[in-house]
Amino acid sequence: MLLEVKNLVTCFYADEHVNRAVDNVSFSIPEGKTVCIVGESGSGKSITSLSIMGLIEKPGVVESGEILFEGTDLLKSSQKHMRSVRGAKISMIFQEPMTSLNPSYTVGYQLDEVLKLHQSHLSKKERYEKVIEALKLVGMPYPEEKYNEYPFKLSGGQRQRVMIAMAMTCEPKLLIADEPTTALDVTIQAQVLELMSKLQKEKGTAILFITHDLGVVAGIADEVVVMYRGHVVEKASAKELFSDPRHPYTKALLNSIPTPGKVKRKSRLETVDENIDYLQFPKEIR
Amino acid sequence: MNLFEIKNLQKHYDVKKGLFAKPTTIKAVNDINFHVKKGEVLSIVGESGCGKSTTAKLLMTIEEPTGGEIFFEGKDITKLSSNELKEYRKKVQIIFQDPYSSLNPRWNVGKIIAEPLKLNTNLNDKEIKEKVLTIMKKVGLKEEWYERYPHQFSGGQRQRIGIARALVLEPEVIICDEPVSALDVSIQAQVLNLLLDLQEEFNLTYVFISHDLSVVEHISDRIIVMYFGDIVESDNVETLFANPQHDYTKQLLGAIPKIEF
Repeated sequence: MLLEVKNLVTCFYADEHVNRAVDNVSFSIPEGKTVCIVGESGSGKSITSLSIMGLIEKPGVVESGEILFEGTDLLKSSQKHMRSVRGAKISMIFQEPMTSLNPSYTVGYQLDEVLKLHQSHLSKKERYEKVIEALKLVGMPYPEEKYNEYPFKLSGGQRQRVMIAMAMTCEPKLLIADEPTTALDVTIQAQVLELMSKLQKEKGTAILFITHDLGVVAGIADEVVVMYRGHVVEKASAKELFSDPRHPYTKALLNSIPTPGKVKRKSRLETVDENIDYLQFPKEIR
Repeated sequence: MNLFEIKNLQKHYDVKKGLFAKPTTIKAVNDINFHVKKGEVLSIVGESGCGKSTTAKLLMTIEEPTGGEIFFEGKDITKLSSNELKEYRKKVQIIFQDPYSSLNPRWNVGKIIAEPLKLNTNLNDKEIKEKVLTIMKKVGLKEEWYERYPHQFSGGQRQRIGIARALVLEPEVIICDEPVSALDVSIQAQVLNLLLDLQEEFNLTYVFISHDLSVVEHISDRIIVMYFGDIVESDNVETLFANPQHDYTKQLLGAIPKIEF
């Protein structure tokens, strides 16, 4: 296993109130595979990924559990060790490519920075070549020109390509992608997803993909983790989950999507019932 | 008779790229023709920048067209007097994509939903409150939430407030500009169900703007596909999904993530 998350608990403290955003979550990611965490807003999926990256800040605290990456517990690692892991072995891309790129530096400068930090033995010229190569790899048109462009000049899809290039320059073992296509148009989304699976095949990168879009999950996932109110309610291979969903919450979620051909047009859709606490049902871990 | 008849509608923006530069023209909506029948759901789909939201704004008279005509019940709304325009705006309402930024954070729910009534009717305070409470019930908001403020609601509930505000003047048409795009799938389902229920009950006509083709397939009767300011294809839902003609429509349909195992 590349990454094993065991009984992770992450809490947020507000006055006397404690919010267990991630409550006893366990799952693992095999090398070179894609694991999807699905859930609605507030289910704890993003907090899980931030916990792995060691990016939880006060008032949030990772209370207990283990995050084993290549056998080492990241929760017990020093800040220095975490800095050498982040960006080099585990990297992350976010939903909004505009806010995660620095608007006042060029694309090239920002990509170069990653190499300066993690591969300091390279010369300036070698770094430039690597950046251009990375831009070519993600299918950026005119990479030499784009090197000197600022992020605002790029389209949403191109910005996400830059983010992916940045995340992939050090050839990480694990790429965490937090809703990377949610802000994009469907046709651009299809291109970005295709790019990610192409890179995965070439480089053998494992992907932890966080999304609320079950259609996207069906397209890319090997394994699926369904989260609800901080808990994992169902865990299965993508094939098992979509052909035979077992947990009532998963079923409700799947039935709430209007699927052309499957759901009758203009019929009323099933919904997740806000008055039901789905945690009362036994977890379905396969 | 068609409720809306849109003829050669055009919205061009002149954009100057520098102080002395010649302005270039951006053709947001470029000479489009379509109609809306009473009681139907007509969807306009396309990607960001294709002109679908500009079209919505033109129908709402938020933007003025640079050319063409919009006939509503036989009258060209681009030539209405201000009194006639007020009447038109009562009949055509809009709900927006973002339920966070389209509600005034300093107003409570009661005031937000009552505002259209205060501006457009002669009802007294008691009658207005009664009406607001009835409509709140219709859209699934509890009576005791009357005094609450937008930040005390979830995204789905906020969208219900937006729908109540649009509905309170008993309009004939509601223009829905990406009403479920910002919502989680299960909340999206609730709002779609509500829109379908309300349409049946009040015999409403919807012009539904969206980029999500699964949602559009579910709710619409007819679809218009826009691409760079032009209408490239329009047809009944069944025909369009079964047999798309234009390359762009095919591409768009092909890009829908599918759940198939």
